[in-house]
Amino acid sequence: MAGTDTSQRKARVDPNKPVVEFIGVRKKLSGRMILDGLDFSVRRGETFVIIGYSGTGKSVSLRHMVGLMKPDEGSIRIDGDEITTMTQRELEVLRRKFGVLFQSGALIGWLNLFQNVELPLLEHTKMSKRKRAEVVQEKLELVNLWQDRDKFPSEISGGMKKRAGLARAIALDPQIVLYDEPSSGLDPVIAHEIDKLINRLRDSHGMTQIVVTHDMESAYTIASRIGMFYHGKMLQIGTPNEIRTSAVPEVQHFITGGREGAVSTRSDAAIQHGRAPGMLSQRTAEAIDAAADAAPTEQVYVLLEERPDDGTPAPAGAPSTTPELKPEAELESTQEHQTHEEKP
Amino acid sequence: MKDFWLIKVFRGTGYTLVLLLEALGLFTHAWKRRAAIMGQMHIIGAQSLPIACFFMLLIGMVFALQTGIEFARFGQTNLVGLVIVSAMVRELGPWMTAFVLVARVGSSMAAEIGTMKVSEEIDALEVMSVNPVSYVVMPRVFAYAIMGPVLTVFGTLVGIAGGAIVANIQLGVKLEDFLRFAERGAEPLDIYWGLLKSLVFSLCAAAVACSNGMRTSGGAVGVGQASRNTVVIALTLTVFLNYLLTSFYRMVKRLVAGLM
Ligand SMILES: Nc1ncnc2c1ncn2[C@@H]1O[C@H](COP(=O)(O)OP(=O)(O)O)[C@@H](O)[C@H]1O
Ligand SMILES: [Mg+2]
Repeated sequence: MAGTDTSQRKARVDPNKPVVEFIGVRKKLSGRMILDGLDFSVRRGETFVIIGYSGTGKSVSLRHMVGLMKPDEGSIRIDGDEITTMTQRELEVLRRKFGVLFQSGALIGWLNLFQNVELPLLEHTKMSKRKRAEVVQEKLELVNLWQDRDKFPSEISGGMKKRAGLARAIALDPQIVLYDEPSSGLDPVIAHEIDKLINRLRDSHGMTQIVVTHDMESAYTIASRIGMFYHGKMLQIGTPNEIRTSAVPEVQHFITGGREGAVSTRSDAAIQHGRAPGMLSQRTAEAIDAAADAAPTEQVYVLLEERPDDGTPAPAGAPSTTPELKPEAELESTQEHQTHEEKP
Repeated sequence: MKDFWLIKVFRGTGYTLVLLLEALGLFTHAWKRRAAIMGQMHIIGAQSLPIACFFMLLIGMVFALQTGIEFARFGQTNLVGLVIVSAMVRELGPWMTAFVLVARVGSSMAAEIGTMKVSEEIDALEVMSVNPVSYVVMPRVFAYAIMGPVLTVFGTLVGIAGGAIVANIQLGVKLEDFLRFAERGAEPLDIYWGLLKSLVFSLCAAAVACSNGMRTSGGAVGVGQASRNTVVIALTLTVFLNYLLTSFYRMVKRLVAGLM
């Protein structure tokens, strides 16, 4: 039933039209700009991987995609439909296009694995009991958990929870599957199993998939395209090869685990203090803007964190390698200040 | 950046009220969710019965002992039955049961929903277009609203029994004397009123617990906070509402007596 559904849908839509589109999305959370002009689009049938430092807003951008959060500004389109202005009822319909695998699996604690996968079928279809059991078996076998169907989430490992979460996410054969760090906390073998599953879903089911990860090996294995999320926007978007050979120092810094490339001064200061780089604090951003207006009196300089041209792949050796310098105003914390002054 | 506390209070109250109304409005889903409602009724009702009865038994016993000592000074020990029944049916039964339920059920309900919230289970439901209010909140509110009054009936009976035992053994009141005066302690209207109070307390506690659970953020600390807030707010509301309801009841009774 669901199978014919998807094929019909595919025939109707223009394959070149983006499935997911973010245009200038901004979102401020607890005083910080988490999304700051986020622009990207995802094509039908591709696996789009979002990489970026932890705690910078990748999960927040996924939540925007399914309407769990609304942006302060900007536009988000799914299959061309603007979702930022949708009512709750319209969102419920929209969400039927999505399957989401949450970071911890998010299985319902009082249901066993079978019942967890059955839940969306029970809620949204009029399938007979036997038909439901067939679908559940198919999905659980796909993730290799059929023999564990009677176990409860508290009785299984993290990797199993994620696989069960994936089985539930694809129970209704969605067009788009979102993954929030599918391989974090898993051993490399299980993580690779998940990568293979993602590739299988792309090849055999033609699903459009968006994966948030900071596991570069996994990103190269599954990605059609990779986008580097940095300071609330896409710093660079490109094929795995383009990212691997990127000339943008921040991208190099991320993908080599800090061995090569560089980050902006403030991100560097954050790393020195064991914090996540790549997140813009609103106050600091305002301080920098204010300093741009005021006459530069201090002799301390910081690297400007926003690039003039975001979202598009930076040309090799372009502005990114010749950082623009700006006079520094009072920085947010004295700790950061000290770090700057220590710099040669 | 931090909001003024009064604004937070108003926002919390508003959210709780809306959540309660939404849950009650979803009574049409009750049949679909009957398994969940039954499960919750078991947890809230059956599992709380022993502790509620134990509490009420001892409260009845202490109450009989204390009033008995005072009545003995006037040679009116027989009246113990009357005092116990009227206090149990109108006051102690409904709100002591409510206290026991808040402590045993309300706090864990908030913690359970709070854990679901911070581990993204609530979000997962929403993404699957399964309304969390219908799936999680409604069964709990309904089960609580049903089992609160039921437990109150049991608790009140056990409390009166406790009083009777003490009156008989320690105060030397004959059982038939106890019962004779006990009959005059409460009229049917008092019993219905007591049950209505219990229903109000139950709805209130369930709404506060679910609302605190649904608004949880910030990991394990947040879950603990939700649980603690639930107990404090629900107990405060219970004593406060109890006072209002009792005053109201007295007023109505006086009016009715005046008319007749
Ligand atoms: N609902 C929220 N309210 C306030 N702040 C939030 C909320 N959700 C996320 N944040 C903040 O946004 C930042 C980005 O979070 P997240 O998207 O989870 O990061 P990640 O890139 O690791 O997925 C974090 O600093 C987090 O504290
Ligand atoms: Mg995340």
